[in-house]
Amino acid sequence: MYNFDWAIFWKYIWPPTALQDPLIRTGLIVTIVVSVIAQVLGVVLGLFVALGKMSKFAPFRWVANAYIWYFRGTPLLVQMSLLFFGLGVTHIYDFPDIVLGTLTIKGAIQAGALALAINEAAYMAEIIRAGIEAIDPGQMEAAKSLGMTYGLAMRRIVLPQAAKVIIPPLGNEFNSMMKTTSLMEVISATELFYGFNQVNARLFKPFELFIAASFYYLAMTTVWSFIQVRIEARLGERKGVERGPSTLQRLFTGASGKGVR
Amino acid sequence: MADQLTAPPVRPDASIIVKAEKVNKNFGALHVLKDIDLEVRKNEVVIIIGPSGSGKSTFLRCINHLEKINSGHISVNGHLIGYLERNGRLVEDSEKNIARQRAEIGMVFQRFNLFPHLTALENIMEAPLRVRKLPVEQVHAEAEQLLTRVGLADKRNQYPNQLSGGQQQRVAIARALAMKPSLMLFDEPTSALDPEMIGEVLEVMKELAHEMTMIVVSHEMGFARAAANRVVFIDGGRIVEEGTPDSFFENPREERTRLFLSQILH
Repeated sequence: MYNFDWAIFWKYIWPPTALQDPLIRTGLIVTIVVSVIAQVLGVVLGLFVALGKMSKFAPFRWVANAYIWYFRGTPLLVQMSLLFFGLGVTHIYDFPDIVLGTLTIKGAIQAGALALAINEAAYMAEIIRAGIEAIDPGQMEAAKSLGMTYGLAMRRIVLPQAAKVIIPPLGNEFNSMMKTTSLMEVISATELFYGFNQVNARLFKPFELFIAASFYYLAMTTVWSFIQVRIEARLGERKGVERGPSTLQRLFTGASGKGVR
Repeated sequence: MADQLTAPPVRPDASIIVKAEKVNKNFGALHVLKDIDLEVRKNEVVIIIGPSGSGKSTFLRCINHLEKINSGHISVNGHLIGYLERNGRLVEDSEKNIARQRAEIGMVFQRFNLFPHLTALENIMEAPLRVRKLPVEQVHAEAEQLLTRVGLADKRNQYPNQLSGGQQQRVAIARALAMKPSLMLFDEPTSALDPEMIGEVLEVMKELAHEMTMIVVSHEMGFARAAANRVVFIDGGRIVEEGTPDSFFENPREERTRLFLSQILH
């Protein structure tokens, strides 16, 4: 019978002791920071892809469609490997470490965050497009009739309204993003899963350690789902939108149930 | 009271605000506007009536280039709208220029199209602030005046979904007026309203008719008689008949006009 190592288990599941291990501490920070950065970049890039897809100018539509086709049609793991190893071996771009004072951002982390962002943009593009298309075309017409250009009307009139439609699925995307950062392990970016893997390589206690790893991911996604409910409630208050499912419903019915891409 | 029941006459030497010449418009194979010619002079109020699908709203939307035209010319204040003429051919103008032209033309829509994320006051202030880039104090003061003028000063901080249809349409009129346009277009402004709210909107429009060049697509005969200088009847994409409200309603010349009037007047 397997002899469960309670000492290791408690050491790595209890944050004050676990975070003393630099692998776990760094891993947690990298995972959170990369999730946020990749999500923000994904939204910005996704907005441009969405606008491209809705453009009157056909070449913009082709580029946007090809983008979505490729990044949703191939595994993120492959995209990330291609970006980091592929560009590295050809010396198109080596992802050198960036040094900012005392902080060094490893090339693998840059590449991982970039791959996550580029991939996320393809998904966000469809979410943003659906949000924009949910807005009555009369809004754009009214804005134009007042002398607004397309860009101004988008920024001031259409997007603020579309945000209401976009934010709930955007929250689900971020939940997914926090878990998907674990794929960066294959390019040796020092995120949370990489940290636990390294500890496991030293201690060989996969059962204990990966339960502990689950705990950290679960903590992040659970905290986020509470924040998400608050954001959506505030969004709904002023504009008379119906309330979404409760946090508990959301946690247990898998409103965002999406696996690794 | 009699002088309030008819529109002031338009001076024949008044400057031409809108000039449409041989305007044609197709939606695919459908030919919706056929050689439309129309001149509207300063301070003139023109009502366009016609059966649904006759092209009257489409024509109105061509005047501020919300719809493209396939041939012909439309100019407002002497400037071609939406196009540039190059070597005798029409080329679509730049987005910026079109936007600049639209800023001078107010439009009121059938379904109001107020911005739901902005209050009544913010709806009115948005374009003067962002398009004209006027100082906020001035824009705010003028917006308050406009709200008072349409009788909604107490609703300044309400969102559109907290207003009735008639109130929303009055805010929409104020929003268009805030740009100080030289021409106002009304696209069936009362047809999405409950009957009891039509009057309040028409009152505002009648007031406006004394001092504004207006083209109104509407079936409100009472408004036409009280405020219009001219009624234009469009059917099948063509102008069938036009005349002063009295002659138009009392003595229509064309058989099609008579038939249409008998249908809408019951």
